[in-house]
Amino acid sequence: MDIILGTLQDAFFAAIASVGFASISNPPHRIYPVCAGIAAVGHSLRYVLMNAVDMHLVIASLCAATVIGLLAVFLAPRTKAPAEAVSFPALLPMIPGMYAYRTFQNLILCLRGSEEEFHHYFYLCGSNGLTCLAVLLVMAIGVTIPIFIFKRISFRATRQI
Amino acid sequence: MMENSAILQPGSSRDAEAAHLTVKDACVFLSQYASALLGCGATCIRIEKNVQRMAETIGVDYSMTIMPATVQITVWDKDRQHSYSNIQKIRKSGTSFNINTQLSRLSWDLHDGRVGFGEAAGRMERILQTRPENRWLVLVLASVANASFCRLFGGDFISMGIVFIATLVGFRIRQMMLEDKIDIRLAFVCASFVSSVIASAGYVFGLGSTPDIALGTSVLYLVPGVPYLNSMSDLLDGHYISFLSRFLDATVLTVCLSAGLCGGFLIMNLRWF
Repeated sequence: MDIILGTLQDAFFAAIASVGFASISNPPHRIYPVCAGIAAVGHSLRYVLMNAVDMHLVIASLCAATVIGLLAVFLAPRTKAPAEAVSFPALLPMIPGMYAYRTFQNLILCLRGSEEEFHHYFYLCGSNGLTCLAVLLVMAIGVTIPIFIFKRISFRATRQI
Repeated sequence: MMENSAILQPGSSRDAEAAHLTVKDACVFLSQYASALLGCGATCIRIEKNVQRMAETIGVDYSMTIMPATVQITVWDKDRQHSYSNIQKIRKSGTSFNINTQLSRLSWDLHDGRVGFGEAAGRMERILQTRPENRWLVLVLASVANASFCRLFGGDFISMGIVFIATLVGFRIRQMMLEDKIDIRLAFVCASFVSSVIASAGYVFGLGSTPDIALGTSVLYLVPGVPYLNSMSDLLDGHYISFLSRFLDATVLTVCLSAGLCGGFLIMNLRWF
């Protein structure tokens, strides 16, 4: 029961976050609902994979990003917008912000402690930084691969028929 | 150039002149189009696809190099008798999926004959005049988005409120500084500094049970997510120069927002853990 509630809540807030962050990049208005839907599916899929299946963050992010990329490639032609205009805003809620933040937090902490503290914080800095980088990379790979595989569809999306 | 053409094809200097004019117009238009797409944050593969589509329609051969701040195009006519080159400076309009979408549609409209080559340049000018999203709407949406982001990371509702206010103020500072044409890096430092100072309210006044998440999330609206994703797309497509320049641009902004965050910590004399 908890997992269902958690998933729904996760989907809801991911949808809001994607619309808000999308608005910074001036998208066409008609993509907002599509964006919100895809972001909700993608982010809650990651939540389920991590909490119900106990999958690692990086693998779960790759799966979620691939699903977002696929959905975007097939839904983008309906909005007459390029696939990346739909999928990139939908991905934004998945950006590992807390890991990036902890990387810099521990970087500063390790510069002003004893040797033992240095080792501890340097380890935290490294592990958070690597996770952050890995997640960013697999997210980009996951979302871009469908665009490259289905080149015909993704670069025809803006055509008016 | 016109004299050269006449020598190449004696007796048909009028045709040569016409051919040259076509090549010149095509080159000027294509280079401006490519630089506009680059300036609105389109991926390299999209720029290449769209330019190729239009060059085929106009009936010219072309070669293009996409550099970080310029686009270089040489256009030849089909007989390889006339050429014209142009190095076009990037036309920055800020990341805009709206302009990106409309320019992509223009390339299809030209291809499908809905727009003539003569009108295309005018259409492009009008597209580039597209007004950005209403700034107050963006301000509110971005603040709500960052508050939801805080929730996704496990923050409680009080933390969400703190993040909302911190984002509202920080984002407005960013907007105002960018409107005043102040350096974007300075704008990022100031915005993240102010946001982190406001978000430290959770620690200072003991509000909520997750002050660390509020503080960490408060600056995340500044992370340049779209440039990072664009750079990765260029990497996968083999455009390594463009990948590096976009990635480094985004990294510089990330370092700036971290610097502002550190400044906030210093001035609030915060200690983690």
